[in-house]
Amino acid sequence: MTENAPIVRFEHVSVRFPSALANDDVSLAIRRGEAFALVGENGAGKTTLMNVLYGLVRPALGTVIIKGEKISQRHDPMRAIAMGVGMVHQHFKLVPSFTVAQNIALGSEPVKNLVFYDQKRLNREVLALSKRFGLPVNPGDVVDDLSVGLQQRVEILKALHRGADILVLDEPTAVLSPAETDELFEVLRSIVREQSMTVILITHKLHEVMQFSDRVGVMKQGRLVGIVNTSETDEKQLAAMMVGRELLFRDLRAGEPSDREVLTISGLRAMDDRGLEAVKGIDLKLHAGEIVGVCGVEGNGQTELTECIMGIRPQTGGTVTLNGRNISRLKPREIRGMGVSFIPSDRMRTGLSAEATVMENMLVGKQRQTEFRRFGVQFRKRRATSYAKALSEQFDVRSGGVDLPMKSLSGGNMQKAIIAREFSFDTPVLIINQPTRGVDIGAIEFIHEKILQKRAAGCAILLVSADLDELFRLSDRLVTLYEGRLTGSFVNGEITRQEISYYMTGGRQEVRA
Amino acid sequence: MSRLRILPALKALIAIKPKQKLTAQYLLSLFIAIVLAFLVGAGIMLLCGYDPIECYAALFRGALGKPRAFGNTLAKTATLCLTGLAMSVAAKAGIFNVGGEGQLYFGGLAAAVVGARLAGAPAWVIVVCALLAAVFAGGLYAWVPGILKVKLKVNEVVTTILLNSAAIYFCSYLTNGPLKTAERGISSGTDSIAVSFSPIIRLSNLNGSIWIAFAAALIIWYLMTRSTAGFEMKITGANERFAKYGGIRADRLMIAGMVISGMLCGLVGMIEVFGIHKRFITNLSAGYYFDGMLVAMIMRYQPFGVIVMSFFFAILTIGGSAMELSAGISGEVILIVQAVIIFFMAAEGGIRQSLRVWSAKRRVKRTHAKEAGV
Repeated sequence: MTENAPIVRFEHVSVRFPSALANDDVSLAIRRGEAFALVGENGAGKTTLMNVLYGLVRPALGTVIIKGEKISQRHDPMRAIAMGVGMVHQHFKLVPSFTVAQNIALGSEPVKNLVFYDQKRLNREVLALSKRFGLPVNPGDVVDDLSVGLQQRVEILKALHRGADILVLDEPTAVLSPAETDELFEVLRSIVREQSMTVILITHKLHEVMQFSDRVGVMKQGRLVGIVNTSETDEKQLAAMMVGRELLFRDLRAGEPSDREVLTISGLRAMDDRGLEAVKGIDLKLHAGEIVGVCGVEGNGQTELTECIMGIRPQTGGTVTLNGRNISRLKPREIRGMGVSFIPSDRMRTGLSAEATVMENMLVGKQRQTEFRRFGVQFRKRRATSYAKALSEQFDVRSGGVDLPMKSLSGGNMQKAIIAREFSFDTPVLIINQPTRGVDIGAIEFIHEKILQKRAAGCAILLVSADLDELFRLSDRLVTLYEGRLTGSFVNGEITRQEISYYMTGGRQEVRA
Repeated sequence: MSRLRILPALKALIAIKPKQKLTAQYLLSLFIAIVLAFLVGAGIMLLCGYDPIECYAALFRGALGKPRAFGNTLAKTATLCLTGLAMSVAAKAGIFNVGGEGQLYFGGLAAAVVGARLAGAPAWVIVVCALLAAVFAGGLYAWVPGILKVKLKVNEVVTTILLNSAAIYFCSYLTNGPLKTAERGISSGTDSIAVSFSPIIRLSNLNGSIWIAFAAALIIWYLMTRSTAGFEMKITGANERFAKYGGIRADRLMIAGMVISGMLCGLVGMIEVFGIHKRFITNLSAGYYFDGMLVAMIMRYQPFGVIVMSFFFAILTIGGSAMELSAGISGEVILIVQAVIIFFMAAEGGIRQSLRVWSAKRRVKRTHAKEAGV
């Protein structure tokens, strides 16, 4: 085996799930010591391919060769780890009540005098490991108390501790702030450079690919549609490869917001589900025909803020005024009646019912309209069904039929169904939280256009997102939210991404926006 | 802050797959479950030295063979169907009424008291008043756990179970104390009612109340599957948080589901009193509501399915006791066979799962074979 031989080679790998072909004849060679990025839309088969490598999924056809050795018929994570493969999953697999060191050594704890667990030696080892790779952690900290960024670091160290020299990271930046993302990529680059590790990054964010990788493989509908050197491509070309067509990404904003104040939030306070104060006095004004973007790392009070406006979460202080009327104490039904629609971030828990049909999901809120009622009691199912069909078409919701349960739809189509329902109320105020999370790049474009159409129609829109690109693209004004307070307010175009991430992490004092 | 961890587990146990629909696959697996159950039952009969074919023949003959038997089976169907629908209507709205027995007792008692006190009034007045009293009493007794659940978040499974005992013992006290009849030969019961339903088939339990039951079932079916309120109940039961977010008055609907459920149970109590016992007796129900709950859960709270399955269960029950007499098989063996059948139906989920895996495997194999051929 020479230095240039590929460290991992996928040969004609096909994986079939009952409903679809997840990987279709994928052949791919990854070189030793390279930073490789695997991009594609949701459901393109990136994660499945890496799960084959890690032994979580068995290919129906084809095989994988790791360091010149074919994987066995009974390849599983234990064997993969032994062959030097480490994987950091999208959802961390850590024991929250254990310390950092205990998590890292889980299953291979050092032993003293044959019986006793050697805590001290373990801590020493972990500290040495973290120094060597430039990933500082405190071995004695309990994982539950750590930020997501640190938890991710523990996951990476866990893989390295087991002797991984092929590290796979599945969408690692979804939970990180821009600064944490930069830091992570810096560390990964240095691991690749100095320790000659091989790092494979799964992502659908193209700027991360450009920032991180040497080479990039693009997947589409289970197939590998191309491998290019990062230095010889750009985001536009990659996006076109991913979607299979040119994306427009034109500047869609047109027209000026009016100065008519529609929604006024003053001194708003609220608790999160654990009973801790999550919104600590927010002042915000929303004008007709304006999009106000709320920037912030997730978990800084965004969800609580939006739920409060909608009446789903009780306020503990302050007021929300809609067209001069105080709506602080009203129920969601009444607030909807006054002209507010809401797209929540937790789709599965609040935004829809997975068991109910697509039609039922899309019709909720309209079932009492005379159009869908007969004799004042009967539900006009046929009419509702054709209405749901028409709405699905208008918003490009792809389902196997509107009478199937919502859970049979892909994440992107679920989101489009929610957007279709909420937009169809034609309300003057829209509260939108994470409109495009987990949504394909093609659908993102569509959703953005719909949002901007609403703005052009004079809607006042509050847009919360963890995706800065989205906020910069759509917003008229940007505010930063940090630990339940607004830390900055800017006109879009007058501030850079770097500056805004400074405010997102608590850079400045409170403001009124 | 500390919540009882056992409550969700208990609730999960009670709500076997509440939110799924009836599908062809489900009906197929249910059919397989029934066939398997009958086969296992036959095995048990063989082990005990009985001829299974003869026994099963006796079972069906005993349930459907004679007009009188058929009448009894229909009457049993009505009881199971109403209690099953009572469970379903609440469960669909996302609230579990395990307290149907208590509501049934109070409904029966209210009907019996009205029936006895109104003696002398025209028959239809007595029946209508008794009906209203029974429905009101049952509904009121269900409203209590409903309001507790919605306003104070008290788990309704716990409260309804507890309220069962309260109702049954309270009724027992009344029938042995303040409301005890002066008639001789009645150990514990209220005064006999002035009018009662006459049997439709002689010597059977089938009587005029079947029309009331039929009408009630029809109304519930319409409510659950055709009405706007039913739509809203379904959304509430599927995801309460989503329903509230969407502007549905979820709290109100949950209470309504519970109250309607209680009203149906009260109606069953009235039918027992007016149709069979002609008075309220201490042991009015032999766990009728729990039988209905079982039917409702097996049919996933689908009203039409509940109606059909009630008939099947009635055959098993009525036929079972007939089998005991005519085939000479002991009652215990029949109970075992019945339990096995119910067990297999409850295990239907596993059967469906293996059906699905099996068909998926075949599909994969077929496509592979096709590709290899190309």
